[in-house]
Amino acid sequence: MSQWLNEVIDSASDVNDFLAPARQAALADLKNEGWPARRNESWRFTPLTPIEKRTAVAAKTVANAEIPAIDNLNAIDLVFVDGVLATELSSIEVPEGMAIIALNTSDSAAQSSITDMFGSVKPARHLFGRVNDALSTQGVFIDVNADTKVDTPIRIINIATQNVDAHSRVLVNVQANASAVIIEQSVGNVDSLTTAFAEYSIADDAHLEHYRFAMVTGSAKQLGGSHFKLHNRSTLNSTVVGYGSELSRLDVDIHHAGEFADAKMNAIYLLAEGELFDLHSTIEHAMPNGTTEENARGIVGDKARAVFNGRIHIHRDAQKTLAELNNRNLLLSRRGVINTKPELEIYADDVKCAHGATVAEIEEEALYYLLTRGVSRSKALVMLNFGFIQELINDVPNEAIKTWLLPVLSERFSHMEVK
Amino acid sequence: MSEQIEQALERKYDAGFYSEIESETFESGLDESVIRRISAMKDEPEWMLEWRLKAYHSWLEMEEPDWAHVDYPKIDYQAISYYSAPKSMKDKPKSLDEVDPELLRTYEKLGIPLHEQEMLAGVAVDAVFDSVSVVTTFRDKLEEAGVIFCPISEALKKYPDLVKKYIGSVVPRTDNYFAALNSAVFTDGSFVYIPKGTRCPMELSTYFRINEMNTGQFERTLIVADEGSYVSYLEGCTAPQRDENQLHAAVVELVAMDDATIKYSTVQNWYPGDENGKGGIYNFVTKRGVCHTNAKISWTQVETGSAVTWKYPSCVLKGDNSVGEFYSVALTRGMQQADTGTKMIHVGKNTRSTIISKGISAGKSNNAYRGLVQMGPRADGARNFTECDSLLIGDKCGAHTFPYIESRNPTAIVEHEATTSKVSDEQLFLCQQRGLDTEKSVSMIVNGFCKEVFKELPMEFAVEAGKLLEISLEGSVG
Amino acid sequence: MLSIKNLHASVEEKNIIKGLNLDIKPGEVHAIMGPNGAGKSTLGYVLSGRDGYEVSEGEATLNGKDLLDLEVEERAREGLFLAFQYPVEIPGVSNMEFMKESVNAMREERGEEPLTAAEFLKKAKAACKQVQLPLDFLKRGVNEGFSGGEKKRNEIMQMILLEPKLCILDESDSGLDVDALQVVADGVNSQRSSERSFIVVTHYQRLLDYIKPDFVHILADGKIVKSGDASLALEVEKNGYAFLGKEYQGEEA
Repeated sequence: MSQWLNEVIDSASDVNDFLAPARQAALADLKNEGWPARRNESWRFTPLTPIEKRTAVAAKTVANAEIPAIDNLNAIDLVFVDGVLATELSSIEVPEGMAIIALNTSDSAAQSSITDMFGSVKPARHLFGRVNDALSTQGVFIDVNADTKVDTPIRIINIATQNVDAHSRVLVNVQANASAVIIEQSVGNVDSLTTAFAEYSIADDAHLEHYRFAMVTGSAKQLGGSHFKLHNRSTLNSTVVGYGSELSRLDVDIHHAGEFADAKMNAIYLLAEGELFDLHSTIEHAMPNGTTEENARGIVGDKARAVFNGRIHIHRDAQKTLAELNNRNLLLSRRGVINTKPELEIYADDVKCAHGATVAEIEEEALYYLLTRGVSRSKALVMLNFGFIQELINDVPNEAIKTWLLPVLSERFSHMEVK
Repeated sequence: MSEQIEQALERKYDAGFYSEIESETFESGLDESVIRRISAMKDEPEWMLEWRLKAYHSWLEMEEPDWAHVDYPKIDYQAISYYSAPKSMKDKPKSLDEVDPELLRTYEKLGIPLHEQEMLAGVAVDAVFDSVSVVTTFRDKLEEAGVIFCPISEALKKYPDLVKKYIGSVVPRTDNYFAALNSAVFTDGSFVYIPKGTRCPMELSTYFRINEMNTGQFERTLIVADEGSYVSYLEGCTAPQRDENQLHAAVVELVAMDDATIKYSTVQNWYPGDENGKGGIYNFVTKRGVCHTNAKISWTQVETGSAVTWKYPSCVLKGDNSVGEFYSVALTRGMQQADTGTKMIHVGKNTRSTIISKGISAGKSNNAYRGLVQMGPRADGARNFTECDSLLIGDKCGAHTFPYIESRNPTAIVEHEATTSKVSDEQLFLCQQRGLDTEKSVSMIVNGFCKEVFKELPMEFAVEAGKLLEISLEGSVG
Repeated sequence: MLSIKNLHASVEEKNIIKGLNLDIKPGEVHAIMGPNGAGKSTLGYVLSGRDGYEVSEGEATLNGKDLLDLEVEERAREGLFLAFQYPVEIPGVSNMEFMKESVNAMREERGEEPLTAAEFLKKAKAACKQVQLPLDFLKRGVNEGFSGGEKKRNEIMQMILLEPKLCILDESDSGLDVDALQVVADGVNSQRSSERSFIVVTHYQRLLDYIKPDFVHILADGKIVKSGDASLALEVEKNGYAFLGKEYQGEEA
């Protein structure tokens, strides 16, 4: 057992709000499961030692924090500092047809909706998801009315400024034929621990444009998840960008709970010296006629480690599924490691399913070609190495985000050692 | 159309008969005394007994692995007998004429040629029946070339230093649970040594037959190809149809010295259990080869039997420029479960590995590929290409792929692809419209699916493998 | 040869053939044209017994034998050949192997001895030559990596080797340039005989310049609405299908 987990379990027993039943269930699981053993498949390449003996303490004061800007995005920012919602919800101009409610609301109707949604999308197997179930008293619930198209992006930012544990939860319900744009962004590099889990329910014919920027670095530890439940004919377009830190883990689950749903996810990770980033994605095709396309590309720098586990599970009745998963990696140094495991678990026969994973250096020919066109070698290496990330950036649906992302990632890349 | 194919692929297991042969069989149970008895029966040198006992003690401390994608009832290791040999073998027959005719009839029935005149001229056979080797053919011809091909029990007496040098060097006793067990109780298997610069003049093959009930088969094979040599080896296996499960825990070690090549092919046809999953062989095997500089090891396997399979023939590409290959067709039907694949460990520079895995699932079976491709920090310029394809027949089976890829070298290239498909209605329709019935069509399409692997088998066995697949798919017409 | 009476058939619960009648005598070449979605390809699939195509009413006989009662391969062995519009690939199975199996299955039906590999190779080479496909096509996987034109020629080659009684050519001209068209047509024409009949399904009149039909039928809205001789095809070329009247426009691609 870990000291930290013990303390978590203790403090969880103090939490008593309208979500008590769900929290109790999570607490019971935590007590039962205990701390994962070294051999535990889910944590095999991602040591939890940085957390094991940590003292679990929450923030007592809310610091002032600088909010990273994304020009021209014009999003509504919901800011969590060290796990506490710092934005005054009453001061926001909420778009028509949308409701934004704090998780610790006292409104009983809202509480009812929140209770219905809490834990309904996120699979119970995620250890830190259970911790978040037990301890997240802070968070937001976003409800988008049926037939409402909200173009204004809603950005939920988690900023770590102190050495505390922060737990926040996001619940988003996109009702039938509605659409929304949600961005989850985490920043910070101080020694800290954040669990940030978000659950999305996308109803029949609804659409969600989603972003997750897991950008904590340094000794900031983050364990988070974005979980999606897709109903009939719904669509999801998700972009994930991951930096590494002492311990950064993201679990993404896409569940086809309805037919004819379509999910597209692009993930980019750039790991600088000594960083660790672990992306575990699971795509569950439980219903027929669904399509999923997932592309994850990463560049791993000196002494860094990327762990990618992409699982596609096609259930027995999920006939006529089309699922594709691709993971491409570049390793920049001998002291870095890439662990990738694309998994397929298939029980239906009338499906088209494929995955691919590569770890490759840039082709000499491509380099030669650039050199013959007068590009300097160092620039050429940068262009080629970064080029394969760029393809995914170009795919980003939101222009402001795309414009912001390119220089931000180029800058990060320039700090990574290129051989 | 899919219903036609999906009908339970009932298949007559031709090798399911039992031979009435008087055997000497130990009572079930495993303890130190059993190991001493086995060693004594085989008249082994002292160091071998010590080696076995060390392995046994390690095994007692170890835990059976449970992470594979297979589900089976716990094995009672005390309910197995660890030694059984036909009584007639005790007197060590010097020629085929002295061997119990019933024994010979067994192999005849299985189509394994033991009489040199009748056989495929290019193949030497070592026939292993339960725990002993019955006969090894073409010994003289091989001896002329300096090739040693004999049962390992004999090698321990005739060439103890050679065996001692290499045994356990590729698969250490403590490598895994089943390897430890095998190291303690292995009974026989083949020992092959090819001298420097020699191309082995014949295909070598060992044929394993389990006959007695409640016994386990623990064979140990060691093949050493000295510098610049070449050998192609084939392993075949069958067992009687029984209601209880029998355990087959083998260890195969291959050593390919500088510039040597070892081709190891397996056509496995252990009893798979009936359509309700009753009976069948548990096939838990550790196979590994070490390649030195410029050496090459090729594993080719066609697996159609056994109730539960757990095997990962692997290559440690130690030497620079060495090459490892793995070609596999694994067919599961009924209630079979397979968790099989390979490990390619790239240590040296410019090492290459190719993995082509074709899984065919039918009935209610589950077929999983589990692989590891590891690029070490010194593996400059190394390259791996992996292609895993699954073919599902019917909608009650499963096909899974779990590839682990680890890279620590920036110039090493790993490429992995996996696809899943089924015998498409269009393909079936095309074949039928050209007059071919469903069974023939499916078998032809499946064969086409496996083509890339079949062409790696030694010619004689490629035909056998194709036939085996066809027989295995029999009974699919609706 | 072929007799179809009041055939009604559907696929995926959509009625496509709605009371089709057709009579073909040995040695005749019948062209079937019509707007898209009328059921031209469907007719071929229904006659050959493709899974998913349900016949709700009517009958179809081949030389007196009830076709609808037979399995796909049984109909093939009775002498029915369908040249596909989009032939599928079968990787790993060589053309040579596939066709030899098929030819021998037909021979077995006719009570003839199977061909040896050498005998078959001889015939296959000749057929390859006839459709202008290089010999190495025999070694390649069935339709694997073939261009559209090569696939169509492969279909004709199979037809030549199998010697069927009734050939249904489903838009064997689609996607072909003039040279390929000539090859296909020559292949078909070389197989014309008093004992063999053809149904040439085509959207455009062009193919019929090369394969001169005895009869031309217009299939619209699931049945044959007009029949005539070769001049009917010319009329269609000039005026399209408008002359059929609005309700027979069908779905234009």
